[in-house]
Amino acid sequence: MLDKPASALRLRERLLDSERLMEETGCYDGITELTLRNQDPLKFETLHTKLRAYCVSAREMARRISASPGVREVGEMVVAIYTPEGDAIALSNGIMVHVHTMSRFIKWMIKNNYEENPKIREGDIFANNDAFIGTVQVPDVMDVVPIFHEGTLVGWAGAVCHELEAGGITPGGDVCLAQERFTEGLFVCAEKIGENDEIRRDYVIRCERNLRMPIYWVLDEKAKVASCIDMRESVKQLISEIGLDYWMKVSKEFIEEGRRAQLARTRQLTVPGIYRGHTFYGHVTAGKPGFQLLGDPDWLYNIPIEMEITTDGKITMDFEGTQPWGYHSMNCTPAGMDGGMFVTLTQHMNFEGLVNDGAWMATELKLPHGTWTNPDNEMVATATSWALLLPAYGVFQRLLSRGFVARGFVEEAFVGQVNSPMIEMGGESQYGTPFGMAHFECAAAGSGALAIADGLDTAYVGWNPESDMGNIEVWEQSMPMVYIGRSIVPNSGGAGKYRGGCSFVSTWLINKTSHLRLHTSEHSSRVFDNGGMCGGYPAPTCQKHRAVRNSNIHELAAKGAPLAHAPGIDPHVSDYEKNIGGDHVLVEGPYITSPHKSGDIFSHSYNGGGGYGDVLERDPIKTAWDVENGYLTREAAIQIFGIVLKDDADGYPLADIDATVERRAAMRKDRLAKAIPVSDWIAAERGRVEKADFAPEVKKMYASAIKLSSRFTRDFSDFWNVDAKSIFMPGAKP
Amino acid sequence: MTSYSKEVLGDLAAGKLPWPQTRRIMSAYKDDDRFFKMVAVYQDRVAWKDPILLPVSDHLFICQSGDERITRCECGHSFGDYRKNWKLKAAIIVRNTEEALREIYPNSDIPDPRWMEIREFICPQCGTMHEVEAAAPGYPIVHDFQPDLEGFYREWLGKPL
Repeated sequence: MLDKPASALRLRERLLDSERLMEETGCYDGITELTLRNQDPLKFETLHTKLRAYCVSAREMARRISASPGVREVGEMVVAIYTPEGDAIALSNGIMVHVHTMSRFIKWMIKNNYEENPKIREGDIFANNDAFIGTVQVPDVMDVVPIFHEGTLVGWAGAVCHELEAGGITPGGDVCLAQERFTEGLFVCAEKIGENDEIRRDYVIRCERNLRMPIYWVLDEKAKVASCIDMRESVKQLISEIGLDYWMKVSKEFIEEGRRAQLARTRQLTVPGIYRGHTFYGHVTAGKPGFQLLGDPDWLYNIPIEMEITTDGKITMDFEGTQPWGYHSMNCTPAGMDGGMFVTLTQHMNFEGLVNDGAWMATELKLPHGTWTNPDNEMVATATSWALLLPAYGVFQRLLSRGFVARGFVEEAFVGQVNSPMIEMGGESQYGTPFGMAHFECAAAGSGALAIADGLDTAYVGWNPESDMGNIEVWEQSMPMVYIGRSIVPNSGGAGKYRGGCSFVSTWLINKTSHLRLHTSEHSSRVFDNGGMCGGYPAPTCQKHRAVRNSNIHELAAKGAPLAHAPGIDPHVSDYEKNIGGDHVLVEGPYITSPHKSGDIFSHSYNGGGGYGDVLERDPIKTAWDVENGYLTREAAIQIFGIVLKDDADGYPLADIDATVERRAAMRKDRLAKAIPVSDWIAAERGRVEKADFAPEVKKMYASAIKLSSRFTRDFSDFWNVDAKSIFMPGAKP
Repeated sequence: MTSYSKEVLGDLAAGKLPWPQTRRIMSAYKDDDRFFKMVAVYQDRVAWKDPILLPVSDHLFICQSGDERITRCECGHSFGDYRKNWKLKAAIIVRNTEEALREIYPNSDIPDPRWMEIREFICPQCGTMHEVEAAAPGYPIVHDFQPDLEGFYREWLGKPL
């Protein structure tokens, strides 16, 4: 019987048994001894390397099937091999955030008795993009196929692609305007979409009828199924070589080994203790077209994190004190939070050895019920959950890095990821056809600084360690816009002894269309959504959008007049305003407005990372190079870093060391003159706190945090020596 | 077992090691003797004699000072008991106006000071900026790190504190 595992236990019972064994022994599946590893370590390691090779090879093959530039060009895909119970044994490179979310999807099907109905048979294909079952957001569509060996279910092969169009209320995948689940687009809820290795025609028709650009989704489905079948056949071949009993044991030992290795690495690289940090996110939608008035239009989110590392090496992250879920698309499910944890661990600690779900098992997330991290309402939208996830896990990276610095592993310290805002679009393509897509050049922002060097410029995002912005020409094939500029944004990295990596800005001319809807998401307004470390400043992440409607660019081009290719470095008057005629637009927050047409100009900038260390220690010579190459401005060099530049004979900037020493001494003196004791500041600020003399959004943030968290209330009250509840929730019971 | 000389680690911490060598260190198996060697590097860097027990920031160290364990700046200034938040004994500059924020962000869009301020925590003796917080007005100052010093030495390093 193909629909029944050969084990005496049904899958559901096996899963529950495995969880019980973990609970009782503290070891995955009750494996207290790594018997096979001890018997033949070389065979053990070789087998895992083979599994990893199966995954990497299957992903690369599948990327050639996909039509989506998101998958083909920038690699928005990951594949993995799982145990029958749904725990990841081995995975490919790519968007590793989904390895554990896929695990949740498989377990969800098992726990919901899919063995009985719709049954799990050889050749079946299951798909899901429901974050409450197991993914991050609606465009992250995952496919899994069971692996049978002579009638026994011996594992699963799974693949995820980030879709560029999900059929939501606004075009693209990260549906910025979604305020409830029902506007996020096409949901596939743990559905059997194919049998006998073939995707069902009626499922494809549903995709074709409900998406703006079905070719991306449908060919990605074929790519994912091809990769799953490829991995499945490789695993079956391997089992025929090593035997079923060995496979069933070794696949679980791999995971237990991964768990132990994670604990050991934590003990090796960090210091036990309590680590704390926070970040913020501003969401500004007042007056924007399309937003329903389901709650206050403008939101300020605080994201405090307390991380504990115990002496046994376990890492626990606690989000108590953060904000409730809201009627916006930035909520996140526990699956998404798991995913963020997993992809961060794989980059910073799980970089060697057997990378798999074992690492995740050595950690714990505390996600307060009712907050954006764990909504108590499954109707909420999660289409842009990265908006809060990325800043949150940027904090996690800084907390871990504090441990690396304390332990002496300064080369591992990293100031962390930032949001990388996304553009989505739809309407009429340059070919005169309907279209919709997300532009994925955002997959190459600036990184936070290291503790020993500047951050990576335009080469890092948190969700995919294989960052890539893609080629301009490829993007131009897919959208009715042509690039008139793509350039480094000076000073976009946070200042510090080591600056954050810089981001870039693109400028487009809208071309050959009479109707182009442009929307953006996942960028914070009015606040920094990242931070610096050890004296470094946050990166400037609250950027506004600049556009020109009805521009005269064609007339200027015909005359050979100079154009503008970037916003420039004057925050008050952009180069577009200086050089191009037309109706200039400046938009704060999500860009949601009436459609554009040919001749309009639109620009969009991405974020750099935070800085590390005191700005007065920055290398003057490196700074001169930065100014020469457009990473820093001359104003920044002198004003922030105290570095005096002069020009060499050819007009290039040259550091004046003596003048710099003198200026820095003066700046240090000035600092000391301006600074006041913290105790004095607290005493003065306390009066403002008592009067709640804050902006309405700030007051609302405190009231929400106090309502949800007794710890936040206590910490706030203790710090200011006030009764927080009576200040921010007058009339509430004490 | 991987191991590096104190000189190499000193250059690594100072950001002076050539990138290819740094890259090799990042990719190699980690050196188990790193902690005490790095402490020795820092100990050579400071002018004071109190033994360093733990580095906690770029220029801040927990050290043994007589019977006390305190947080000390590289310049020698004491921020008191290491279990207390050193920031409360620091000097502070708060940037909560557009003008003050613009000094650090001369060419970018800046936050709304009604929503966000920057707090610079400075050593009152030498003026080193040890930490920067970006926070909403009224947000309590964060106690960044409370190490389990006893557990670290006893259980992870296998040495008495």
